[in-house]
Amino acid sequence: MSTVPPSPPAIPARLRHRRSADALTAGQLAEVRSAIVAAQAIDDDRGYQSWAGVHGLPLPVYCTHNSPLFLPWHRAYLYFFELALQDRVAGVTVPWWDWTAGGSEGLPAAYADEQDADGQPNPLLQSPIQPSGRPPGGPSETNRNPGQPGAPPLPTRAQVDAVLELTDFMDFQSQLEDLHNGVHVWVGGTMGGIASSAYDPIFWAHHVMVDRIWRLWQLRHPGSGPPAALLDRALAPFAMTVRDTLDVEALGYDYAVTTAAVRGTG
Amino acid sequence: MVDRYVSDPIDLPERDAGAGYFRADLVFYDVDHSGPSYEALVFLNAPDADAATPRDDEHYAGSFKIFGHGSCFGDVGHCDVPTGPRDPFDLRPPHHLVPASKTVVVTEAFKRLVAPGDETMTVTVVAVTPGDGPNDVLKFDRVRLLTYS
Repeated sequence: MSTVPPSPPAIPARLRHRRSADALTAGQLAEVRSAIVAAQAIDDDRGYQSWAGVHGLPLPVYCTHNSPLFLPWHRAYLYFFELALQDRVAGVTVPWWDWTAGGSEGLPAAYADEQDADGQPNPLLQSPIQPSGRPPGGPSETNRNPGQPGAPPLPTRAQVDAVLELTDFMDFQSQLEDLHNGVHVWVGGTMGGIASSAYDPIFWAHHVMVDRIWRLWQLRHPGSGPPAALLDRALAPFAMTVRDTLDVEALGYDYAVTTAAVRGTG
Repeated sequence: MVDRYVSDPIDLPERDAGAGYFRADLVFYDVDHSGPSYEALVFLNAPDADAATPRDDEHYAGSFKIFGHGSCFGDVGHCDVPTGPRDPFDLRPPHHLVPASKTVVVTEAFKRLVAPGDETMTVTVVAVTPGDGPNDVLKFDRVRLLTYS
């Protein structure tokens, strides 16, 4: 008679916090970079290339833009991507890029530096693009052209505050998506089009910022959210509905500008 | 590259001079997003506005941004948006290139530039594609002014 192996012991529920990319400790940044490097090394559906490809190319294009599912779909996307990174480096979270921080270069140093602290190429600066993830004739690596002439400026804190004041979810979502669009245009290069944008590592920090603003909006407007008709809509290809995305704590994460911890008595 | 649109005069409803608006929107319907990404700068009562007109010009009202599809990556017909009535039993998501609606909140510019008693206003849209992108990106069906008081 076969026996069923015992279930692994349950892990005590402990929220993980996504932090500002500008406020990571050296150790936290090293963990993010290690997770990306490890995920890039996997050539199957657990790997970085596979997850980046869910958004645009290779077909089908799953991402939802100009859609009532914009925020829920991207929250689900980040959730599964972050879990894939946590399979590589336990507890790691994707940081957020505060576009309103007003740095002279715009991009966080963690994502713009050529090298990491050990003098190795910064895995958050650039990424390969798998052949099936490239538009015809497109480059094999991501590139950026931040703030090129004709690009809109990065959103300001006042613009984000104005969006947070909106009380109707659909109105809020529409205006936040427009700020999001402008950041894609500002970064330019690979980020400037739907097809390959998710291959650029800054994509994830950009969308964590969008997700964070939604979380802040939820805290300011308790009880408000997507209309009931949307709640049971599926978020393909993820096994999630809109309703499943509404509570970030149920998804195991929340946001903090910085975190620091020290071992206790145990 | 730059694409421009100047509306015909939009008839404004007669208003009570004492009525205050807390919000005014311009809604652009059926905006095409199949091409490159761009920003569309919106000006009120400034038919000569162009890409050189600064954002601190008094006629500047706001902008909308398009995160574009880029081009078609499928086979022939992949990016053709279906037309005609939709089968009620067709539960597939909408086609990915169904045109978008974009709302630009223009409250402050509207209050500043359109006085009670004005009979018309115009909308100028200047679409700017960074770099050497195409200059015929701006396509939409209509623009509507919505006011709330």
